[in-house]
Amino acid sequence: MSTKQDDKQLRVLLIDDDPAEHILLQRKLQKADETSIELDYVADIGSAVDIVKAGGVDMVFLDNRLVPNNDFRETAPLLRQAGFVGPIGIISSDISGKYFEDFRDYGVDFKIGKDEIDASVIAFVVTEYTRDQLSETCSEDYL
Amino acid sequence: MLVTETALHLGPELERAVNRVDFFRLFKSLAGSNGFSHFGLTEIAGEEHGLSFQHVHALHNFPGAWFDDPKDPVIGAADPVAQYLQKASAPYLMDFRQTPSKVLLSSGAAAAVIVPLHAATGKRYGLIMVGGDAKEDHQALALIALDAALIFQRYFEVILSLDSISGLSDREIQIVRWTSEGKTSAEIAIILALSEHTVNSYIAAVLRKLHVVNRAQMVASAIRSGLIA
Repeated sequence: MSTKQDDKQLRVLLIDDDPAEHILLQRKLQKADETSIELDYVADIGSAVDIVKAGGVDMVFLDNRLVPNNDFRETAPLLRQAGFVGPIGIISSDISGKYFEDFRDYGVDFKIGKDEIDASVIAFVVTEYTRDQLSETCSEDYL
Repeated sequence: MLVTETALHLGPELERAVNRVDFFRLFKSLAGSNGFSHFGLTEIAGEEHGLSFQHVHALHNFPGAWFDDPKDPVIGAADPVAQYLQKASAPYLMDFRQTPSKVLLSSGAAAAVIVPLHAATGKRYGLIMVGGDAKEDHQALALIALDAALIFQRYFEVILSLDSISGLSDREIQIVRWTSEGKTSAEIAIILALSEHTVNSYIAAVLRKLHVVNRAQMVASAIRSGLIA
Protein backbone atom coordinates (compact mmCIF):
# COMPACT_ATOMS: atom_id res chain seq x y z
CA MET A 1 0.00 0.00 0.00
CA SER A 2 1.46 3.32 -0.97
CA THR A 3 1.69 6.24 1.37
CA LYS A 4 1.96 9.89 0.72
CA GLN A 5 4.95 10.18 3.00
CA ASP A 6 6.89 8.23 0.40
CA ASP A 7 6.65 11.30 -1.76
CA LYS A 8 6.97 14.32 0.48
CA GLN A 9 7.33 15.59 3.99
CA LEU A 10 4.09 15.61 5.96
CA ARG A 11 3.13 19.00 7.38
CA VAL A 12 1.31 18.66 10.70
CA LEU A 13 -0.22 21.68 12.44
CA LEU A 14 -0.49 21.53 16.22
CA ILE A 15 -3.09 23.89 17.71
CA ASP A 16 -2.69 24.13 21.47
CA ASP A 17 -2.83 27.10 23.84
CA ASP A 18 -0.08 25.56 25.97
CA PRO A 19 3.31 26.06 24.24
CA ALA A 20 4.78 23.28 26.37
CA GLU A 21 2.68 20.78 24.41
CA HIS A 22 4.48 21.88 21.25
CA ILE A 23 7.84 21.04 22.80
CA LEU A 24 6.55 17.71 24.11
CA LEU A 25 5.14 16.70 20.74
CA GLN A 26 8.36 17.73 19.00
CA ARG A 27 10.29 15.44 21.34
CA LYS A 28 7.88 12.58 20.73
CA LEU A 29 8.24 13.00 16.99
CA GLN A 30 12.00 12.90 17.33
CA LYS A 31 11.65 9.72 19.38
CA ALA A 32 9.37 8.25 16.74
CA ASP A 33 12.13 8.92 14.22
CA GLU A 34 9.52 10.76 12.19
CA THR A 35 11.83 12.85 10.06
CA SER A 36 9.09 12.89 7.45
CA ILE A 37 7.00 15.23 9.63
CA GLU A 38 7.30 19.00 9.68
CA LEU A 39 5.52 20.28 12.79
CA ASP A 40 3.97 23.74 12.77
CA TYR A 41 2.45 25.29 15.86
CA VAL A 42 -0.16 27.95 16.66
CA ALA A 43 -1.88 28.73 19.94
CA ASP A 44 -5.33 29.79 18.77
CA ILE A 45 -7.95 28.75 16.28
CA GLY A 46 -7.96 32.07 14.40
CA SER A 47 -4.30 31.69 13.45
CA ALA A 48 -4.94 28.05 12.55
CA VAL A 49 -7.74 29.02 10.19
CA ASP A 50 -5.40 31.47 8.46
CA ILE A 51 -2.76 28.79 8.05
CA VAL A 52 -5.07 26.10 6.65
CA LYS A 53 -6.58 28.65 4.27
CA ALA A 54 -3.09 29.36 2.97
CA GLY A 55 -2.83 25.63 2.18
CA GLY A 56 -0.11 23.02 2.57
CA VAL A 57 -1.25 21.54 5.90
CA ASP A 58 -1.65 17.74 5.70
CA MET A 59 -2.92 16.97 9.20
CA VAL A 60 -4.08 18.85 12.29
CA PHE A 61 -3.65 17.93 15.94
CA LEU A 62 -6.21 20.07 17.76
CA ASP A 63 -6.27 20.56 21.50
CA ASN A 64 -9.78 19.94 22.80
CA ARG A 65 -10.11 23.11 24.81
CA LEU A 66 -8.58 26.29 23.45
CA VAL A 67 -9.13 29.38 25.56
CA PRO A 68 -11.41 31.32 24.98
CA ASN A 69 -13.28 28.71 22.92
CA ASN A 70 -15.19 25.83 24.43
CA ASP A 71 -14.26 22.43 23.03
CA PHE A 72 -13.61 20.79 19.65
CA ARG A 73 -17.28 21.04 18.73
CA GLU A 74 -16.73 24.77 18.37
CA THR A 75 -13.24 24.80 16.85
CA ALA A 76 -13.05 21.81 14.46
CA PRO A 77 -15.95 23.04 12.28
CA LEU A 78 -14.10 26.35 11.81
CA LEU A 79 -11.25 24.47 10.14
CA ARG A 80 -13.71 22.62 7.89
CA GLN A 81 -15.48 25.87 7.02
CA ALA A 82 -12.08 27.19 5.97
CA GLY A 83 -11.95 24.38 3.41
CA PHE A 84 -9.52 22.08 5.22
CA VAL A 85 -10.13 18.47 4.10
CA GLY A 86 -7.16 16.80 5.77
CA PRO A 87 -7.45 14.68 8.92
CA ILE A 88 -8.14 16.40 12.24
CA GLY A 89 -7.19 14.60 15.43
CA ILE A 90 -8.35 15.87 18.81
CA ILE A 91 -5.78 15.61 21.56
CA SER A 92 -6.83 16.09 25.14
CA SER A 93 -5.77 15.22 28.64
CA ASP A 94 -9.26 13.76 29.13
CA ILE A 95 -11.26 12.21 26.31
CA SER A 96 -13.72 10.42 28.56
CA GLY A 97 -16.47 13.03 28.14
CA LYS A 98 -19.67 11.70 26.63
CA TYR A 99 -19.61 14.39 23.95
CA PHE A 100 -16.54 12.71 22.40
CA GLU A 101 -18.89 9.96 21.17
CA ASP A 102 -20.04 12.14 18.29
CA PHE A 103 -16.64 13.48 17.28
CA ARG A 104 -17.12 12.49 13.66
CA ASP A 105 -20.21 14.68 13.36
CA TYR A 106 -17.95 17.69 13.88
CA GLY A 107 -15.54 16.79 11.10
CA VAL A 108 -13.02 15.14 13.42
CA ASP A 109 -11.21 11.99 12.31
CA PHE A 110 -9.76 10.62 15.53
CA LYS A 111 -9.19 11.37 19.21
CA ILE A 112 -6.23 10.58 21.42
CA GLY A 113 -5.49 11.20 25.09
CA LYS A 114 -2.34 13.26 25.60
CA ASP A 115 -1.00 10.60 27.93
CA GLU A 116 -1.47 7.98 25.21
CA ILE A 117 0.66 9.77 22.62
CA ASP A 118 3.99 8.07 22.09
CA ALA A 119 6.21 7.14 19.19
CA SER A 120 4.12 4.13 18.16
CA VAL A 121 0.82 6.04 18.24
CA ILE A 122 2.24 8.82 16.09
CA ALA A 123 3.64 6.28 13.63
CA PHE A 124 0.28 4.50 13.45
CA VAL A 125 -1.73 7.68 12.92
CA VAL A 126 0.60 8.93 10.21
CA THR A 127 0.48 5.58 8.39
CA GLU A 128 -3.28 5.28 8.80
CA TYR A 129 -4.10 8.74 7.52
CA THR A 130 -1.62 8.93 4.67
CA ARG A 131 -2.27 5.59 3.03
CA ASP A 132 -4.53 5.14 0.05
CA GLN A 133 -7.74 3.58 1.32
CA LEU A 134 -9.23 2.98 -2.07
CA SER A 135 -7.71 0.70 -4.67
CA GLU A 136 -6.59 1.97 -8.06
CA THR A 137 -9.82 0.65 -9.56
CA CYS A 138 -11.66 3.14 -7.38
CA SER A 139 -9.91 6.26 -8.58
CA GLU A 140 -12.19 9.04 -9.67
CA ASP A 141 -12.27 7.36 -13.06
CA TYR A 142 -15.76 8.14 -14.21
CA LEU A 143 -15.44 11.91 -13.96
CA MET B 1 -7.69 8.85 28.91
CA LEU B 2 -8.20 5.11 28.94
CA VAL B 3 -9.12 3.58 32.26
CA THR B 4 -8.15 0.05 31.49
CA GLU B 5 -10.03 -2.03 34.02
CA THR B 6 -13.34 -0.39 33.33
CA ALA B 7 -12.70 0.33 29.68
CA LEU B 8 -12.01 -3.25 28.75
CA HIS B 9 -14.84 -4.85 30.64
CA LEU B 10 -17.76 -2.49 30.87
CA GLY B 11 -16.50 1.03 30.45
CA PRO B 12 -17.27 3.62 27.83
CA GLU B 13 -14.09 3.46 25.76
CA LEU B 14 -14.98 0.07 24.35
CA GLU B 15 -18.52 1.14 23.50
CA ARG B 16 -17.31 4.41 22.03
CA ALA B 17 -14.70 2.88 19.74
CA VAL B 18 -15.69 3.81 16.20
CA ASN B 19 -12.56 3.72 14.05
CA ARG B 20 -9.22 1.98 13.68
CA VAL B 21 -7.39 4.54 15.78
CA ASP B 22 -9.75 3.78 18.68
CA PHE B 23 -9.08 0.05 18.34
CA PHE B 24 -5.35 0.64 18.05
CA ARG B 25 -5.61 2.54 21.35
CA LEU B 26 -7.63 -0.23 23.00
CA PHE B 27 -5.30 -3.05 21.98
CA LYS B 28 -2.27 -0.94 22.92
CA SER B 29 -3.86 -0.26 26.29
CA LEU B 30 -4.52 -3.97 26.78
CA ALA B 31 -0.89 -4.76 25.99
CA GLY B 32 0.42 -1.93 28.17
CA SER B 33 -1.76 -2.82 31.14
CA ASN B 34 -0.33 -6.33 31.05
CA GLY B 35 3.24 -5.13 30.83
CA PHE B 36 3.83 -5.53 27.09
CA SER B 37 5.25 -2.75 24.95
CA HIS B 38 4.15 -4.12 21.58
CA PHE B 39 1.15 -5.83 20.06
CA GLY B 40 0.06 -7.04 16.65
CA LEU B 41 -3.34 -8.16 15.39
CA THR B 42 -3.82 -9.63 11.95
CA GLU B 43 -5.80 -12.15 9.98
CA ILE B 44 -4.52 -15.71 9.79
CA ALA B 45 -4.44 -16.62 6.13
CA GLY B 46 -3.74 -20.06 4.66
CA GLU B 47 -1.02 -22.37 5.97
CA GLU B 48 1.41 -21.37 3.26
CA HIS B 49 1.07 -17.69 4.19
CA GLY B 50 2.73 -15.97 7.07
CA LEU B 51 1.21 -13.25 9.23
CA SER B 52 1.12 -10.00 7.28
CA PHE B 53 0.80 -6.82 9.30
CA GLN B 54 0.27 -4.91 6.08
CA HIS B 55 -3.17 -6.51 5.88
CA VAL B 56 -5.99 -3.98 5.56
CA HIS B 57 -7.46 -4.95 8.93
CA ALA B 58 -4.18 -5.40 10.78
CA LEU B 59 -3.31 -3.25 13.77
CA HIS B 60 0.14 -3.23 15.31
CA ASN B 61 2.91 -1.15 16.81
CA PHE B 62 5.80 -3.44 15.90
CA PRO B 63 8.83 -1.35 14.84
CA GLY B 64 9.69 -1.70 11.17
CA ALA B 65 13.28 -2.52 12.14
CA TRP B 66 12.16 -5.97 13.37
CA PHE B 67 11.33 -7.04 9.83
CA ASP B 68 13.47 -7.83 6.78
CA ASP B 69 11.40 -5.31 4.85
CA PRO B 70 10.14 -2.57 7.19
CA LYS B 71 7.50 -1.56 4.64
CA ASP B 72 6.15 -5.10 4.41
CA PRO B 73 6.03 -6.40 7.99
CA VAL B 74 5.51 -10.15 7.80
CA ILE B 75 6.09 -13.02 10.22
CA GLY B 76 6.93 -15.91 7.93
CA ALA B 77 4.86 -19.10 7.71
CA ALA B 78 7.74 -21.10 9.18
CA ASP B 79 7.95 -18.92 12.29
CA PRO B 80 6.66 -20.74 15.39
CA VAL B 81 4.26 -17.89 16.18
CA ALA B 82 2.62 -18.22 12.75
CA GLN B 83 2.61 -22.00 13.03
CA TYR B 84 0.95 -21.89 16.45
CA LEU B 85 -1.78 -19.56 15.24
CA GLN B 86 -2.44 -21.81 12.24
CA LYS B 87 -3.41 -24.74 14.39
CA ALA B 88 -4.37 -23.43 17.82
CA SER B 89 -7.54 -22.05 19.35
CA ALA B 90 -6.32 -21.39 22.90
CA PRO B 91 -4.20 -18.53 24.26
CA TYR B 92 -0.60 -19.44 24.80
CA LEU B 93 2.55 -18.13 26.40
CA MET B 94 5.36 -18.89 23.93
CA ASP B 95 8.82 -19.14 25.47
CA PHE B 96 11.33 -18.02 22.86
CA ARG B 97 14.14 -19.85 24.62
CA GLN B 98 12.46 -23.09 23.58
CA THR B 99 10.83 -21.95 20.33
CA PRO B 100 12.69 -18.92 19.01
CA SER B 101 10.78 -16.55 16.76
CA LYS B 102 13.16 -14.79 14.40
CA VAL B 103 11.08 -11.63 14.17
CA LEU B 104 9.86 -11.31 17.73
CA LEU B 105 13.25 -12.04 19.27
CA SER B 106 14.10 -8.57 17.97
CA SER B 107 11.98 -7.22 20.81
CA GLY B 108 14.53 -8.53 23.26
CA ALA B 109 11.76 -10.36 25.11
CA ALA B 110 11.99 -13.98 26.16
CA ALA B 111 8.34 -14.75 25.55
CA ALA B 112 5.12 -13.58 23.92
CA VAL B 113 1.45 -14.02 24.61
CA ILE B 114 -0.46 -15.31 21.59
CA VAL B 115 -4.25 -15.16 21.47
CA PRO B 116 -6.19 -16.78 18.61
CA LEU B 117 -9.41 -14.89 17.83
CA HIS B 118 -12.39 -15.93 15.76
CA ALA B 119 -14.72 -13.68 13.79
CA ALA B 120 -18.38 -14.60 13.34
CA THR B 121 -17.76 -14.93 9.60
CA GLY B 122 -15.35 -17.79 10.23
CA LYS B 123 -12.20 -15.78 9.57
CA ARG B 124 -9.46 -16.25 12.10
CA TYR B 125 -7.24 -13.60 13.60
CA GLY B 126 -4.30 -13.64 15.96
CA LEU B 127 -3.22 -11.18 18.64
CA ILE B 128 0.43 -11.21 19.65
CA MET B 129 1.73 -9.27 22.63
CA VAL B 130 5.45 -9.03 23.22
CA GLY B 131 8.10 -6.87 24.83
CA GLY B 132 7.30 -7.51 28.46
CA ASP B 133 8.24 -9.80 31.25
CA ALA B 134 5.71 -12.52 30.47
CA LYS B 135 5.37 -15.22 33.10
CA GLU B 136 3.59 -18.54 33.19
CA ASP B 137 0.30 -17.54 34.83
CA HIS B 138 -2.83 -19.27 33.60
CA GLN B 139 -5.23 -16.90 35.32
CA ALA B 140 -3.52 -13.81 33.87
CA LEU B 141 -3.47 -15.45 30.45
CA ALA B 142 -7.20 -16.19 30.67
CA LEU B 143 -7.96 -12.57 31.61
CA ILE B 144 -5.86 -11.27 28.72
CA ALA B 145 -7.71 -13.60 26.36
CA LEU B 146 -11.06 -12.41 27.73
CA ASP B 147 -10.20 -8.75 27.27
CA ALA B 148 -8.76 -9.44 23.82
CA ALA B 149 -11.96 -11.24 22.82
CA LEU B 150 -14.12 -8.35 24.06
CA ILE B 151 -12.15 -5.78 22.09
CA PHE B 152 -12.01 -8.02 19.04
CA GLN B 153 -15.78 -8.59 19.20
CA ARG B 154 -16.32 -4.84 19.08
CA TYR B 155 -13.72 -4.49 16.31
CA PHE B 156 -15.67 -7.08 14.35
CA GLU B 157 -18.98 -5.28 14.92
CA VAL B 158 -17.64 -1.85 13.97
CA ILE B 159 -15.05 -2.55 11.28
CA LEU B 160 -14.82 -6.16 10.09
CA SER B 161 -18.52 -6.99 9.75
CA LEU B 162 -18.95 -4.36 7.04
CA ASP B 163 -18.14 -7.15 4.58
CA SER B 164 -21.40 -8.89 5.42
CA ILE B 165 -23.79 -6.00 6.13
CA SER B 166 -26.01 -4.83 3.30
CA GLY B 167 -27.68 -1.68 4.63
CA LEU B 168 -26.12 1.76 4.25
CA SER B 169 -26.08 4.42 6.94
CA ASP B 170 -27.51 7.89 6.32
CA ARG B 171 -24.01 9.30 5.94
CA GLU B 172 -23.03 6.60 3.44
CA ILE B 173 -26.16 7.28 1.38
CA GLN B 174 -25.33 11.01 1.40
CA ILE B 175 -21.86 10.25 0.05
CA VAL B 176 -23.13 7.86 -2.63
CA ARG B 177 -25.64 10.51 -3.66
CA TRP B 178 -22.98 13.21 -3.98
CA THR B 179 -20.75 10.77 -5.87
CA SER B 180 -23.59 10.14 -8.30
CA GLU B 181 -23.68 13.93 -8.85
CA GLY B 182 -20.08 13.75 -10.03
CA LYS B 183 -18.43 15.14 -6.92
CA THR B 184 -14.90 14.06 -6.00
CA SER B 185 -13.98 12.93 -2.48
CA ALA B 186 -12.36 16.30 -1.77
CA GLU B 187 -15.48 18.13 -2.93
CA ILE B 188 -17.75 15.90 -0.85
CA ALA B 189 -15.46 16.51 2.14
CA ILE B 190 -15.99 20.26 1.78
CA ILE B 191 -19.75 19.90 1.30
CA LEU B 192 -20.19 17.66 4.34
CA ALA B 193 -17.48 19.32 6.50
CA LEU B 194 -15.49 16.12 6.79
CA SER B 195 -11.95 15.13 5.91
CA GLU B 196 -11.21 13.55 2.55
CA HIS B 197 -9.93 10.55 4.49
CA THR B 198 -13.28 10.12 6.21
CA VAL B 199 -15.14 10.40 2.90
CA ASN B 200 -12.88 7.73 1.42
CA SER B 201 -13.46 5.56 4.50
CA TYR B 202 -17.20 5.74 3.90
CA ILE B 203 -16.72 4.96 0.20
CA ALA B 204 -14.51 1.98 1.06
CA ALA B 205 -17.20 0.74 3.48
CA VAL B 206 -19.93 1.12 0.84
CA LEU B 207 -17.84 -0.75 -1.74
CA ARG B 208 -17.48 -3.64 0.69
CA LYS B 209 -21.16 -3.64 1.59
CA LEU B 210 -22.31 -3.56 -2.01
CA HIS B 211 -19.61 -5.98 -3.19
CA VAL B 212 -18.41 -3.65 -5.94
CA VAL B 213 -14.95 -2.39 -6.82
CA ASN B 214 -15.24 1.17 -8.12
CA ARG B 215 -17.32 4.31 -7.85
CA ALA B 216 -19.25 3.80 -11.06
CA GLN B 217 -20.34 0.33 -9.93
CA MET B 218 -21.15 1.73 -6.51
CA VAL B 219 -23.50 4.35 -7.93
CA ALA B 220 -25.08 1.89 -10.36
CA SER B 221 -25.62 -0.68 -7.62
CA ALA B 222 -27.10 1.92 -5.27
CA ILE B 223 -29.55 3.08 -7.95
CA ARG B 224 -30.53 -0.50 -8.88
CA SER B 225 -31.20 -1.42 -5.27
CA GLY B 226 -33.17 1.78 -4.63
CA LEU B 227 -30.74 3.20 -2.08
CA ILE B 228 -30.62 6.42 -4.08
CA ALA B 229 -33.05 7.77 -6.65
